[in-house]
Amino acid sequence: MKIVRIVGVSVSAIFKHKVRTFLIVLAIMVGVATITVIMALTRGANKKIMQRINNFGPDAIMIHSGGGKMEGPSTASEANLTKKDIADIQNIDGVKLVTPFQVALDMPVKYGNKFTTSWVWGVKSDWKDAWKRGASKGDFISDSDNEQLSKVCVIGQTAAKDLFGDGNPIGESILLENTFFKVIGILEKRGQAPVGADFDNLIVIPFTTASRRLMNQPLYIAMARAIATNPSNVKKVAGQIREVLRANHHLADTEEDDFRITSPVEIAKMVKSTSRTLNNFLWIVGIISPLVGGIVLMNIMLMAVSERKKEIGLRRAVGAKKKHIIFQFLAESLMLAFSGGIFGAITGVFVAIALAHSGKPVIITWQPFASAFIFSAAIGLFFGIYPARKAASLDPASALTQQ
Amino acid sequence: MIEFKDITKSFTNGALKTDVLKGLSFNIDEGEFVAIMATSGTGKTTLLNILGCLMKASSGSYLFECRDIETLNDDQLSEIRNKKMGFVFQSFNLLEKTSAIDNVLLPLVYSDIYPSDAEKKASQLLESVGLKDRINYKPGELSGGQQQRVAIARALINDPAFILADEPTGNLDAVSAKEIMEIFKSLHSHGRTIIMVTHDINIARHAARIIYLKDGSVEKEEVLK
Repeated sequence: MKIVRIVGVSVSAIFKHKVRTFLIVLAIMVGVATITVIMALTRGANKKIMQRINNFGPDAIMIHSGGGKMEGPSTASEANLTKKDIADIQNIDGVKLVTPFQVALDMPVKYGNKFTTSWVWGVKSDWKDAWKRGASKGDFISDSDNEQLSKVCVIGQTAAKDLFGDGNPIGESILLENTFFKVIGILEKRGQAPVGADFDNLIVIPFTTASRRLMNQPLYIAMARAIATNPSNVKKVAGQIREVLRANHHLADTEEDDFRITSPVEIAKMVKSTSRTLNNFLWIVGIISPLVGGIVLMNIMLMAVSERKKEIGLRRAVGAKKKHIIFQFLAESLMLAFSGGIFGAITGVFVAIALAHSGKPVIITWQPFASAFIFSAAIGLFFGIYPARKAASLDPASALTQQ
Repeated sequence: MIEFKDITKSFTNGALKTDVLKGLSFNIDEGEFVAIMATSGTGKTTLLNILGCLMKASSGSYLFECRDIETLNDDQLSEIRNKKMGFVFQSFNLLEKTSAIDNVLLPLVYSDIYPSDAEKKASQLLESVGLKDRINYKPGELSGGQQQRVAIARALINDPAFILADEPTGNLDAVSAKEIMEIFKSLHSHGRTIIMVTHDINIARHAARIIYLKDGSVEKEEVLK
């Protein structure tokens, strides 16, 4: 087959011009490796966003006391939500459940001579439904604990580890500020909170005990978490909650909210905005890098064409048609670009693995190889066609007499 | 086989128009060994390019095996070069870093038919020009005379209608030059058609007929044998 023989010519040219081959493969490799790493990073970042949204709850709406743009939980000291607020939210169509809770951040906790600080939240029994998080061992805070203002607590696994090490905390008493609380259960593990804090460094106690004894906030409520009946309605329900609260708080149209409402929509926005600048920058690099590789390929192929004018003239003299010359040079560009693409994808995957080991969220899939294939084919064709056409358009008579 | 009739060729460089060939007419028959004798600057290279279908004339007609070359397109000309012509150049024009046998096989890369005994044929041709033990040598490892013999073998691989040689001994010493001419003579005696363009009258005298070129037209012809 003539086509196979011409490909053979291209292959032997690749092996005969080793420096040129090395330079082109290197240039394409760097470009494709960059794209591969950036794809892995972006997919990793997206997965992290999804994880955070899932941690937050795709159907959840958080209501914080106090306005402004602050992130993180509102504490009992800034509480301004009322029992009526909670009851009115419960009555909104599309709200499945709403549970209020009190919040103290970084409260000192003691057990024997062990000391730590932890979030302490006062919760009702339906907190576990709203957060889909109960006791993995022992019991959760019950309604009767709330009625009796019991001094019991359920502790998160980080707090448990800090205070008890590998020991069993259940039945022991820990000191929160100046009050002893009996540990009745261990909280299910949750990982990172949307704001980035450790959600397992948390101790929950009965809502009433927190309001009246520990945090001295019998009237107002720091926070509440509502669950929408339908996750796709979250945005609409959040809007309705806002209207209810503004009416209840007698806010004039000109006044800003004295509360904050957070839904998965905001969480996604928040997480994305922190990484957007970096992502845009990465993508610009990711697009430029293979482009530079392509320019290098074109440059070196053009040099090859002018260096090999005499060879091209000879080939034309012994009967090569223009299309044969185009095919020969295009096949060279394509094979060089492909090799660069394959090496680039492999390098990219190795770099991505290294990044994953250094703690960056990274996802590695088969796609780098597919994209390397497409990218390098595109580069080889796009940047290879011009040198190939140039080679074919050489006048055979004058190409032959080149020195 | 070849019929040149009033062939002219002019080149324009900006406003400057140069007439290189001014109405060239001659015939070459099958089996002839013709030398075209021309001093440098008399359109020798241009004539060679036209004869070799690497260039078209400005006017006149070039009939080759009864086909009008001037009417053919680039692909058709390539095919004629591939099937009907064997080129031998002054500077050999072998592919470097490529073995003698692969150089000989080069025209077959672009041929529609690749004979199954191509390698055998190529080594036989190399043997016939005295390079039996050098078929895997690369041009850099061969002397000028040997390189030119590889080029002659390459010109013969397609069984061409004629061999077109451009100053085939121009880059060779006297001994090698004589050897190359002996090869041409032997090919001629076996019925090959050879057209050789040269400025060296002593080389031209090896041919059977000499066409003298002067100022872009035929000055005279001389039959030697």
